Amino acid sequence: MAHDHFRERIPGTPRFKEKDKNKPIGTEPFFPNFLLKEWIVGALFLVAFMLWIVFNPVELTDVANPSDSSYTPMPDWYFLFLYQLLKYFPGSVIWLGSVILPGIAATLLILAPWLDNSKVRHPFKRPVATSAMVLSLLLMIWMTYEAHVQHEEHLASQPKKVDQSAMPADTTLVDANDPGAKIFATSCAGCHGADLKGQIGPFLIGVGNKYDEAKLVDTITKGFPPNMPPKGGLASDDQVKQVAAWLAKQKQK
Amino acid sequence: MFKKTYDWIDERLGITPIWRDIADHDVPAHVNPANKMSAFVYCFGGLTFLIIVTQILSGMFLAMYYVPDIVNAYRSVQYITDEVLLGQIVRGMHFWGASLVIIMMFLHMLRVFFTGSYKAPREMNWVVGVLIFFVVMGFGFTGYLLPWDQKAYWATAVGAQIAESVPWIGKYIKTVLIGGDVLGALTLTRFFAIHVFFLPAGLLGLLGLHFIMIRKQGIAGPL
Repeated sequence: MAHDHFRERIPGTPRFKEKDKNKPIGTEPFFPNFLLKEWIVGALFLVAFMLWIVFNPVELTDVANPSDSSYTPMPDWYFLFLYQLLKYFPGSVIWLGSVILPGIAATLLILAPWLDNSKVRHPFKRPVATSAMVLSLLLMIWMTYEAHVQHEEHLASQPKKVDQSAMPADTTLVDANDPGAKIFATSCAGCHGADLKGQIGPFLIGVGNKYDEAKLVDTITKGFPPNMPPKGGLASDDQVKQVAAWLAKQKQK
Repeated sequence: MFKKTYDWIDERLGITPIWRDIADHDVPAHVNPANKMSAFVYCFGGLTFLIIVTQILSGMFLAMYYVPDIVNAYRSVQYITDEVLLGQIVRGMHFWGASLVIIMMFLHMLRVFFTGSYKAPREMNWVVGVLIFFVVMGFGFTGYLLPWDQKAYWATAVGAQIAESVPWIGKYIKTVLIGGDVLGALTLTRFFAIHVFFLPAGLLGLLGLHFIMIRKQGIAGPL
């Protein structure tokens, strides 16, 4: 029958008639029978992998900037448990977390066949080895999770980057040598940016379009407690006036 | 036609014994998911190898465009991602594949551990396997820097800081690691060389040993 004809060809049916009756039941020739099945599993695995890639494009953050130490570093996820371990040994004992403990763990892992050297193989029959591995596993998962949570918390506590979406395209400063500009550079630039593009505080490019000098004096004098102190931390009303006068000139479009 | 070609080569090189060593053996029932579904845990090692192969291939294609210097590294990665045909996919394969290798290798290690397959006479193969694990971690650490973006730079900066914390020899380790006093141009070329020359050489050697030992010793019997 045609059906039987096909059965001889699909992978899984023996490639040759087994002559050796001593072979254990269920064994299968590696080539081609088992390899074909492996290829099917491998192909499915790759398809799933490719789908994941298509739907999860890789991002690129900003170009490396060695002078921007405000960036919160984070190792790749599979190093997180080691990274977390360091946090439990701060300061001068950090070498306990960076060398000694990982060193011990790596040595134990390499020596596992000699430490767990009984003849029995079933995991339930060697409770020490099994529970040691399960415990380390739970510890690694927990530390990875904890590192992730602490990283998220740290990011949330960071001052938010100011929203620059409404900032004028022209960002050239008007009258950059004005005495008001010098006061601004020493007292205000820390929050609003030396380029007026904003840091923790909002950007001030084009602020002259919205407010005149009098309104700016008023706003600075009141401040925005608690983020911005009254007078913006300036010593005198005169300084406030000079800064306001300079800011009022910033009419970038 | 195939037969003739094969015979012609075999006469000259004697490839039949090699071929027999590689392919002509029986797969025992207890590792074959076709017999018992739970035997799928025995697939993890093979899948790790499959992903390592795709890592090598995608890495070779990335190396066609990637430029390991601090001016162009970031731009070349940007170029691969945005301009090169299928560049986003190949970079995605290499990026996600790095994590997948770790995951599959870890699962494979757990299978070997919990089935006690590392016991005599297979101790040496376990040691080689653990070394492969460390080499792959090295791949992850060095590869992370190569896009030269903020994430890469500062993660490596932390790594260098940790290396420096080792008592007495810390600062020497750091110097060897980053190729100088500061993390910069020399670090990038160094990590690139380690990532594409040193570690692959080590990995291929260890994988060869791993597979030869499996063929020599056979797979561990049923539990």
